[in-house]
Amino acid sequence: MKSRLGLAVVVCAGLGLAGQVLAPLVAEPWRERREREPALRLEPGVAAAGQGVTLALLGGFRALVADAAWIQMYARWERRDLAGTEAFARLVTTVDPRPVYFWLNAARILAYDFPAWRIEAAGGYDAVPAAVQRAVNEAQAAAALEVLGAARRRHPESVDLWVEEANIHLNRRGDPLAAAAAYREAWARPRAPYYVARLRAEVLRRAGRRAEALAWLREVHPALPAGDPGAGAEVVLQRIRELEAELGVPAGEVYRPGR
Amino acid sequence: MAPALETRGLVKDFPVGLRGVKLRAVDHLDLTVPAGVIYGLLGPNGSGKSTTIKALLGLVTPSAGECRIFGRPSGEVAARREVGYLPEAPYFYRHLTGRELVGFYGRMCGLGRRELAGRVETVVAQVGMTGAADRAVETYSKGMLQRIGLAQALVHDPRLLILDEPTAGVDPVGSAAMADLIRGLRDAGKTVLLTSHLLGQMEALCDRVAILDRGRLVAEGTVAELTGGAGRQQLEVDRLDEAQVTELRAWLAARGCGLHGVAAGGRGLDAVFLERVGRDRAGGKEA
Amino acid sequence: MKGAPFSFLRLGLVAQNTLREAVRQRLLHLFVGLALALVLGARGLRDFNFGAPELKFLADCGFGAMTLFGSALTIAATAQLFFSELENRTALTLLAKPVWRAEFLLGKLLGVALLTALFCALLTGLLAAVLWVREGELMALDPEGFRGGRAVSYAMVALGGSLQWLRLVVLAAFTLLVASFARTQVFAVVCGFGVLVICHLQHLAQEAYTRAGSAVGVALGGFLGGMFPNFQVLSLADSLDAADLPSLATWARLTAYGLGWAVAAGLLAVLSFRRREI
Repeated sequence: MKSRLGLAVVVCAGLGLAGQVLAPLVAEPWRERREREPALRLEPGVAAAGQGVTLALLGGFRALVADAAWIQMYARWERRDLAGTEAFARLVTTVDPRPVYFWLNAARILAYDFPAWRIEAAGGYDAVPAAVQRAVNEAQAAAALEVLGAARRRHPESVDLWVEEANIHLNRRGDPLAAAAAYREAWARPRAPYYVARLRAEVLRRAGRRAEALAWLREVHPALPAGDPGAGAEVVLQRIRELEAELGVPAGEVYRPGR
Repeated sequence: MAPALETRGLVKDFPVGLRGVKLRAVDHLDLTVPAGVIYGLLGPNGSGKSTTIKALLGLVTPSAGECRIFGRPSGEVAARREVGYLPEAPYFYRHLTGRELVGFYGRMCGLGRRELAGRVETVVAQVGMTGAADRAVETYSKGMLQRIGLAQALVHDPRLLILDEPTAGVDPVGSAAMADLIRGLRDAGKTVLLTSHLLGQMEALCDRVAILDRGRLVAEGTVAELTGGAGRQQLEVDRLDEAQVTELRAWLAARGCGLHGVAAGGRGLDAVFLERVGRDRAGGKEA
Repeated sequence: MKGAPFSFLRLGLVAQNTLREAVRQRLLHLFVGLALALVLGARGLRDFNFGAPELKFLADCGFGAMTLFGSALTIAATAQLFFSELENRTALTLLAKPVWRAEFLLGKLLGVALLTALFCALLTGLLAAVLWVREGELMALDPEGFRGGRAVSYAMVALGGSLQWLRLVVLAAFTLLVASFARTQVFAVVCGFGVLVICHLQHLAQEAYTRAGSAVGVALGGFLGGMFPNFQVLSLADSLDAADLPSLATWARLTAYGLGWAVAAGLLAVLSFRRREI
């Protein structure tokens, strides 16, 4: 090599050539990995995460960094610092999106704690008009649902995320039909607990959708194991009978288990 | 037969500073080292001796000119098969023992396992290190390092040895032992290229010398040619008084000879030191 | 070159010697000690854990220690082992022998690769042992939770260790590439850490420049993305579940990618070192 500049050009060209040849080898695994990892995408959360993400990505201590950030989040939570709490909650779920725990708690803080803090900061529940309170609840519920939606992209089979979504629809937004839809999704996940099915029926019944609730319980009952008290097959059957009575179902059309 | 070493028009420039101003370390050097001699390369610090050696070994690339080892361009890896090199103040892998070190270099030179064991024993004995060969190199004194360095240079039985200041930092006993070793190598048919600041030792040891200054060759020839000693002789006699010296001068003049100098005699401090301290200490018993 | 062909034996001898020298370095002992302490002490950090299942948390700490201390060890050892040869002039003696510079440099790289292989094997083995013991304890405490047997895929742990090693080999090759022309060891170490950061984050830079939309930005992003390997590809699959184990073909591609980059950077280092004045 005659000069340092010439050497630099050759080295750069060599590296560029290597990159061109080798990158296609891993294009597919890289695409898959990137889809699952928010920290690997250039999203606002990642930019806000700053040094924490860098440290986690370089050092590999994702769980430790996420735990440290979670403690920082609680320090801000105690001070009712809305912006700080939300930023750290997003940092944690960006750095380590693997534990459902972080997603669930981040959504709960957004849906339940934030509206309370905002309303109290504005003068308290007695002073703030009901319409404003509803708007605050709605906005915070939307933010929490967005977090749960992001979590589901990472954990599509999680029952807890759908149950939490149902709870938010029910308790924050006062929308039992949306809650019922979420419970149905939760029930469709593998290893869903039996109580989810009963909750959906109850929500439908309270919303006045008794026929729908009855149809749902009839659909679910055959899947409930008879000997398992947790499954509550007897309770479900009893509820079916109650609904049939309330709806005046003719004797010939009542539900017959095992048919 | 090709000379052991040859440089033709050798130039080596080093860029200095950001602007790349060139410093000429070797300046159009023509040198021929015939096979089978001890050849001394002399010069003050910065005269280009080490750079010339590095160019001969392919460790630096000449800016111009060429170097050949037994007729082969010195840049070729194969040319170095014929060369054994002992650098100035050598520093070796400290964790190896002397025997492992010599074995390592032997294998690097392509010696097979079977051949290697015998060669290592031979060269370790040749440099008088048998007794210390199983000690870690980090425990060696300077003199021992030089000797084990010479052993590694000899292990693949090269025809040419390049020894850069082989006696630097070594006591007179070690120096004398090293000089004996070098003479023995020459007597065994090797060519030795040597650099040293000890001019007295070089004078006694070298068959031919070249003197470099600022990268240029300023003198070259046998020691006798350079010192003007050809055709002269030195006699050592019992002390003569003034009248006896005058009489001797007249006696010599009558026979066509001149008396060129009269000086006090004696064996010199080197000889006394070697006699009192004992040359046999250089035989591997050094701590 | 006629009469002295490239020799893998000599390359191996240089590697062997490099490894022998490396394992005697105090810095190595320090990094290995810290990493071992972290893997063993990870159980003590459980109280600090909120979200992750305990075994996953332990694995995270183990692989984190491997990445952090492994990267520092690789960069420091590569630069130190290379520059010590030049500064102590052992390279002078070695390269004055009938030895190719490529044999010397690639031997150094292979020596560091062996060192990092030992490091990763040691830590992966220890991590697997820690996981195995803790999993056994958890199984005794909660037999219901482990009805299907052990939950941790130890093949996944081994795969994680092998991918960590690939990253460290690529990092060593890049550090050696810088060292081949650098004047000082400090420069090589600083650039080594720079390469580490770039290789982890180059995909974000590439994405940012692409989004910016300017031709210069896209070119710059492509330049960075094309010239440096993407270490995120070689990051541990973040699961201990056997179901997430990548296919053999994916594993082979990842290995080819890592080794391909190491070979490319190693050969460029040889090219750069070829005319270096010793």
